[in-house]
Amino acid sequence: MNTQSLTIDAHEPGTPPGDLAIWFFIFAELLAFGVFFGSYAFARAHHVELFNQSQQLLNRASGAINALVLITSSYFVVRAVAAIKQGLSRQCANWLGAAIALGGVFIVIKLFEFHAKFSAGISLSTNTFYMFYLSLTIFHFMHVILGMVILAFVMAKARSGGYSIEHHTGVETGASYWHMVDLVWVILFPLVYVIR
Amino acid sequence: MQYKSQAVAKPYFIAAIGLFVGQILFGLIMGLQYVVGDFLFPAIPFNVARMVHTNLLIVWLLFGFMGAAYYMIPEESESELFSPKLALTMFWIFLVAGALTIVGYLTVPYAALAKMTFNDLWPTMGREFLEQPLITKLGIVVVALAFLFNISMTILKGRKTSISLVLLLGLWGLAVFFLFSFYNPSNLVLDKYFWWWTVHLWVEGVWELILGSLLAFVLIKVTGVDREIIEKWLYMIIAMTLITGIIGTGHHYYWIGTPEYWQWFGSVFSALEPIPFFMMTVFAFNMVNRRRREHPNKAATLWALGTGVMAFLGAGVWGFLHTLAPVNFFTHGTQITAAHGHMAFYGAYVMVVLTIISYAMPMLRGRAANSAKAQVMEMWAFWIMTVSIVFITLFLTAAGILQVWLQRVSTTPMGFMATQDQVALFYWLREITGVMFLVGLVVYIASFFVAGETKEAA
Amino acid sequence: MNKPSQPRFVRPCTLIWLALVTLTGVTYTIGDAGLGGRNVMLLVLAITLLKSQMIAGYFMGLRKTSLLWRAIMGGYLIVVGGMIAIAYLMGIN
Repeated sequence: MNTQSLTIDAHEPGTPPGDLAIWFFIFAELLAFGVFFGSYAFARAHHVELFNQSQQLLNRASGAINALVLITSSYFVVRAVAAIKQGLSRQCANWLGAAIALGGVFIVIKLFEFHAKFSAGISLSTNTFYMFYLSLTIFHFMHVILGMVILAFVMAKARSGGYSIEHHTGVETGASYWHMVDLVWVILFPLVYVIR
Repeated sequence: MQYKSQAVAKPYFIAAIGLFVGQILFGLIMGLQYVVGDFLFPAIPFNVARMVHTNLLIVWLLFGFMGAAYYMIPEESESELFSPKLALTMFWIFLVAGALTIVGYLTVPYAALAKMTFNDLWPTMGREFLEQPLITKLGIVVVALAFLFNISMTILKGRKTSISLVLLLGLWGLAVFFLFSFYNPSNLVLDKYFWWWTVHLWVEGVWELILGSLLAFVLIKVTGVDREIIEKWLYMIIAMTLITGIIGTGHHYYWIGTPEYWQWFGSVFSALEPIPFFMMTVFAFNMVNRRRREHPNKAATLWALGTGVMAFLGAGVWGFLHTLAPVNFFTHGTQITAAHGHMAFYGAYVMVVLTIISYAMPMLRGRAANSAKAQVMEMWAFWIMTVSIVFITLFLTAAGILQVWLQRVSTTPMGFMATQDQVALFYWLREITGVMFLVGLVVYIASFFVAGETKEAA
Repeated sequence: MNKPSQPRFVRPCTLIWLALVTLTGVTYTIGDAGLGGRNVMLLVLAITLLKSQMIAGYFMGLRKTSLLWRAIMGGYLIVVGGMIAIAYLMGIN
C-alpha cells in the first residue's frame, strides 16, 4: 500500500522520534521494569547476606559482554536511522541486520547462562535472589526477542524500499523500542550482577 | 439503525435488564440475611441466594455483550448479520436454559440437582460462580459457539475494523476461558489455580477487551472524533490490559499453595493493572472534549464517561488497595474483597452494558435519542445507582477495615462470628443503600417508557 | 543525484558509544574486584545513571525534545536510582 504523500512525515517539534504511541509503551515498560528493580532492591535489603552470596555465583563476564553487545547494537540502530535520513535504504537495512545479529548474540549468551544455572539445579524456587535474577533476566530476554522481531519487520520494509528521507517514522519507532531494551539491561546488569 | 438485522439486539437487551432486576432482588435478600440470619430460611438459604445473585449477574452481562455485538458488528462490518434467525433461536435457548437453572437452584437441593443433571459423569459443580449444572455449562458452550459463528461470519464477509476485531478477540477469549470451568482437578491447589483461568482472565483479561471496544464504539458515535484516533487508543489500552493482567493472575496465587515467587510476580504486575482503566477514563473524557458534534443522546455520553471513572475507581483503585501480597495477607477474603468486587463489576461491566444500551436502544426504536424528559429520567437513574454503589462500597470498605483489625491485626484477635456482630451496623447501612440502588434501577426502567418528542434517527 | 550528507548526530553518537563501552568496563572491573559497600554502590549507581542518560539523550534523541520528555525520563532515572540507593542503605543497618 503506497501512502507516500507529498509531505514529510509530520513530526511535531519537541516530541521524541517515531510514533508517539511507542513512547507510551516505552514508558509503560520502563515503569514495569522499574517496579521490578525497586522490588529487587528492597528484597535485597532484607536478605543482604543471601543476596551477596548468591550473586557470587553469577556469570558476571557474560553479563558484561551482553551489556557491550546491546550497547553496540543500539549504536548500529542509530546508524540505521542516520542512513535512512540520507535516503540510503540498503544501508539502513544492513545496519538493522547487524543490530539484529548482535541481538542474536545476546540471546545465545543468555541461553548458555540459563542452561548453566538450570543444570546446576537452580530454579525460581531456589531462593529469593535467584527468583529475582531469573525472572528479571527472563522478562528482559522476552523483550529482546520482541525487539528483534520489531527490527526484523522494519529491516524487511527498508530493504524493499518502503522508507525514504521523507517517510521513515517506522524506523525511528522500532529504533526507540530497541534503545529501551538496551537501557533496561544497562540498569539491570550493575544492579543484579555488581552492586553488593 | 442502519442494518435491519441489528434489531436482534433488542430482545437481548430487554432480557439483560430483566435479569439485572432479578440479580438486585437477590442481592437485597442476602444483604438482609447478613443481619437477620434466618430471613427466608429454609426456603431460600444464603448460599442459594448467593448463587442466584452471582449467576444472574454473569448471565445478564452475557446477554448484554451479545446484544452489543449483534448491534455493533453489522454496523462496523457494513454488512447484515450472517443469520438473524440463529441469533433469535439462541436467545430463547439461552434465556430458557438460564431460567431453568435458576429455578433449579431455588427449588431443588443442590446435591439433588447435581445428581439429576449427571454431575457424576463429569463433575463441574460446586465452585463459586461456576455452580451451573453440567448440562447448563454445555448449553452455554453451544450458545456461545453459535453466537461466535454468527458474529465471525458477519465480520469475515464485511469490513474489518479495529473495534470489531478487538471485540471478536475478547468474545472468543471469553468462550475459550470458559472451557476451563470444565477442568476440575481433585488437587485443591490445582483446582484453585485453574479456577482463576476462567474468573481472572475473564474480568481482568478478555472482558476488558470487550469493555474497550464497546466504549470506543459509543465514543465514535456520540463524539464524531476520527476513527483512527479512537482505534489507536483502543489498541494501547488493550495492550496494557494484557501486559498487566496475564501475569497479574498471580495476585490470586499468593496463599493457595503455589510457589512463593507468585507473591512477587502477582504484586508487581497486578499493581500495574489500574493503568488501562486510567487510560480508559482519560480516553473517554478526551474524546468527549474534542468532539466534533453535539449528539442528541446526552445520556449515553454520561454513561460512557461514568464507566471510565467508576471502572477506574472500582477495579483500578479499590483493586490496587488490596492487590499487594503484604496487604492481601491481612485482607484476603474479607469485606474489602466484597467492596472491590461490587464497585468493579458495576463500574466496568454493568455500566458499559448500560452505556451501549443507552446508545443503541433509541436507535433500535427508530430515533437518534430519547426525548429530553426520558433522558433526564435516565440520567437520574445513572446518578442514583452510581452514588448508591459508591456508598455500598464505602460501607463495605469500612466493615472490611474493622473486620481486618478485629479479626487479624489486633493483638487479641476475635473470631469470625464475633467480628461480624461488630460490623453489623455497616451491613444495615449497606442494605439501606442497596434499596436506593433498586430505586435507581426502577427509575432506569421507567425511563424507557417515558414519551415525549424525539429526534429522528439519522 | 545529490544525497544529503551524514546527519550531524552520528559523530557524537560514536563518541557516546565509546564512552558507554568504557564505563561498562569500569563497572565490570569493580564487580570483578568484588568491591562493595556504600561508596562503591553510589559510584556504580552514578555510572549507571550517566550511561542511561547518554542512551536516552543521544541514542533515543531525547536531547532534542521539549523539557517535558526529558523531565519524564530524567525523573524516572532519579526515582529508580533513588529507590536502589535507599534500599541499599536500609540493608546496611
